[in-house]
Amino acid sequence: MNQVKRNVIVASVVIFVIAILGLAGWANWQNRKQAAAHIAEQAHSQQSQAVLAPDNSGSLHMTSPLVGKPAPGFTLSSPKGEKISLASYKGKAVQINFWATWCGPCKIETPWLVELEKQYAPKGFEILAVSVDDLNKDDKNELAKDIAGIAKGAQELHIDYPVLIDGDSIAKPYGDIEVYPTSFFIDRSGTIVAASFGLTSKADLEGNIRKALGEGN
Amino acid sequence: MRLSFLPIALALTSLAIQAPFGNLGDRPAKQPAVTYLYPEQVTITAGKPSPVDLHFKVGEGLHINSHTPRSEELIPTTIKLPETSGVRLAKADFPPGTDFAFSAGPDTPQEKLSVYTGEFIVHAELVATKGEHPVEATLHYQACTNNICMPPHSIPVTIDVIAR
Repeated sequence: MNQVKRNVIVASVVIFVIAILGLAGWANWQNRKQAAAHIAEQAHSQQSQAVLAPDNSGSLHMTSPLVGKPAPGFTLSSPKGEKISLASYKGKAVQINFWATWCGPCKIETPWLVELEKQYAPKGFEILAVSVDDLNKDDKNELAKDIAGIAKGAQELHIDYPVLIDGDSIAKPYGDIEVYPTSFFIDRSGTIVAASFGLTSKADLEGNIRKALGEGN
Repeated sequence: MRLSFLPIALALTSLAIQAPFGNLGDRPAKQPAVTYLYPEQVTITAGKPSPVDLHFKVGEGLHINSHTPRSEELIPTTIKLPETSGVRLAKADFPPGTDFAFSAGPDTPQEKLSVYTGEFIVHAELVATKGEHPVEATLHYQACTNNICMPPHSIPVTIDVIAR
């Protein structure tokens, strides 16, 4: 009788241990699967993120691995609700300028951009001002206020090229942009030929615009 | 004798099931522009507004808007306490900002901003019910350097409030 009892206990313990080990193995497999997906996602994101790199003079500046690659496509709305796609600018040189109403350096840069857009528009150059201001999408009234604030900010800066809202929704394919202003300069074939991060100078911006138009180096 | 493997099996089992989902999502956190310095714990009188000074530090080369920026488009620095914490923020006196202007060259005169740099103190008054309350307040701010701005951000302000 004692022998039978002991066998039952041993069998129960063995089954319990096997079950626990099985659960641990399954959990470990899930862990590895999720970790692999996480690493793949991170690697994909990092591939397009801006990095610090030395220029010809040896000084460090931010550069984007997106330079030389096709510009990621997008469709965004204007504050009036008009849908605007990057694809509709095919054949033109385009500057995508990520800005925000709360961004001081953007306010310094924008008047330069307004002038440069006027100067180079006859050659087939356009600017898209993509606002990254937060939008309260859960509350209709707040959303309307947010959009009105962007429109007012753009008006105060005399922006007369298209203003687009909800820029955060396209920040990821453009390298998880987290500094403003940031601009990407796209040539007539849709390839990013230059990127600038932060406030530079009107001359730098003009140089990049000429590059996008195929006039510079 | 047959049961002698049991402790070994259980020890192995416990090792195998230790944190099977551990280490997921451990991204290296990006350094926030502002750090909460102290206090980590305060003892106050229950039911009475009690002064607590909250110390913060803005990172080197950065500034954040003060609590009263000079333009309505700019995002002020604010502090918030969760309503369910048993602790109420009766008052928060922010220091006045210092003047700052982005340098855009002599031909581009810039308006002066009101900002915080380095260390700053928020003089708060807390009211708490009797007991120990682990509070996670948040400081909301928007930071810039001399030529770039970063999106608005919030950091946790974790304080253990003991009300007697």
